[in-house]
Amino acid sequence: MDLGFKDKVALVTGAGSQKGFGKEITLTLAREGCAAVAVTDVIDDVNLTAAEVKKLGAKSMAIKADITRQTEAEAMVKKVLDEYGKVDVLCNVAGAILQKDYMPIDEQKTEIWARQMELNLFGMMYICRAVVPSMRARKYGAIVNIGSGSTHQFKMGVQVYAISKYAIDLFTKQLAFFEGKHNIRCNCIAPGPAPTNFGAVLREGMQGPPPTPEQMARMREGMMAEFPLGRMGTPTDIAKMTVLMASEVTGYVTGQVIQVSGGNVME
Amino acid sequence: MDLGLKGKVALVTGAGSQIGFGKQIALLLAREGCDAVAVTDILIDDAKLTAEEIKKLGKKSIAIKADITNQADVAALMKKVTDEYKKIDILCNVAGGMANRVPYDKAKPEDWDKDIHLNLFSIMLTCQAVLPYMHEKKGGVIVNIGSGSSRMYAHGSGNVYGIAKGGVDTFTKQLAFNEAKNNIRVNCVAPGPAPTNFIPGPDKKAVVDMMAKTIPLGRGATQADIANATIFFASDMSSYVTGAVLHVSGGSVLD
Repeated sequence: MDLGFKDKVALVTGAGSQKGFGKEITLTLAREGCAAVAVTDVIDDVNLTAAEVKKLGAKSMAIKADITRQTEAEAMVKKVLDEYGKVDVLCNVAGAILQKDYMPIDEQKTEIWARQMELNLFGMMYICRAVVPSMRARKYGAIVNIGSGSTHQFKMGVQVYAISKYAIDLFTKQLAFFEGKHNIRCNCIAPGPAPTNFGAVLREGMQGPPPTPEQMARMREGMMAEFPLGRMGTPTDIAKMTVLMASEVTGYVTGQVIQVSGGNVME
Repeated sequence: MDLGLKGKVALVTGAGSQIGFGKQIALLLAREGCDAVAVTDILIDDAKLTAEEIKKLGKKSIAIKADITNQADVAALMKKVTDEYKKIDILCNVAGGMANRVPYDKAKPEDWDKDIHLNLFSIMLTCQAVLPYMHEKKGGVIVNIGSGSSRMYAHGSGNVYGIAKGGVDTFTKQLAFNEAKNNIRVNCVAPGPAPTNFIPGPDKKAVVDMMAKTIPLGRGATQADIANATIFFASDMSSYVTGAVLHVSGGSVLD
């Protein structure tokens, strides 16, 4: 099936990790016909992703940016618009978890709350603010945000992270409702557990040492509590649905949150 | 993108109407690689037209007359399809409709009964009947057509239809949860207004356009919009998605 990506320009955030959703989404967009896929991340590995895109015959540029800083996020978007003249598809993948384990409300540090919101919500918001006006002008845009099944998985005990992700669900719907008249669609893919760097590698300096095996085990147990399809997700599972939502063939779908979690979450 | 439908056998209910979702879903399944797409409708002559078009695409097809609110008909339907093609990989439950438009305060139990039977009971029957065949082949996918009306409350005359379709959502999740261990995925596509026979009167487009004024994307659904979403759930594209209800409604349902 032709997904209608010919001549389209995409921007994918959080595309640095070589085993993450962002890279897989990026490569799928390139394979399915995008003319250019720009990639951004705070880590240098984003260059590796861009190189792979080019090998597939699409244009690419890697921009190192900390999207939690508004000026950096705006400058990143400007670079893409300057280079390719437009952004048709925006995939907001960047995000991470900053808490290692459940912490009661009176123990979880305020800084973690603030930083988690900055990382998962504000970064996405800054980028949408910078991209949406250009989409309005062209009467075309497809935005896909990566949410999380953790919004419905209380046993995971990652309450601050889950709250930041639930905000993304609502941000998606708000954007869909108010920008629909400009033919800008906005949807959200909510992944279940997958073997990415999620939870295994915390950003340096955020919250001390990596989780202990016990903490990891507890998180895993929470994630796997009810797991109907009996396996973890893969970056490919997430990339396929993300790219569908970014494509012309879902031209009448907007404001939806799709759980790609093997039945883990059925809201 | 290859949707991984090669070699698959599909059954689409409600595929008779020549302006309906079912026909477009059946044709898209054939175009995207299914080996055989069986179609059924109570309007057998119309279903035959759909089957002919599938054959023109170089794929196998049979049209089978069935009243899917009737358990014996449904059992015979599944038997015919599997006798012919040896399996059913994909079941798309499209058949449905608003049986009456009697306001809820005037409706008699038999009015409610019609909508519940046509829209909910029918899907429960076809799913129940297809499961043994899917179990035998250790897998399958089911896509149910729900409706945005399950989340819209302003159209009082259609409320039993909406209730029945809300039941389809829940049935989808229940089935998804319980059949996942058997490698069967079950999802639901909930369409917004489209110019099908669901819309009464001759100028369906005018009615849809009027409804579209309050839809964020500013237009009604097309048969292709719904067929696309349905086929993704029927294909390997959604291999890790089960129990989902996807509203294909231009943003008219956001909760």
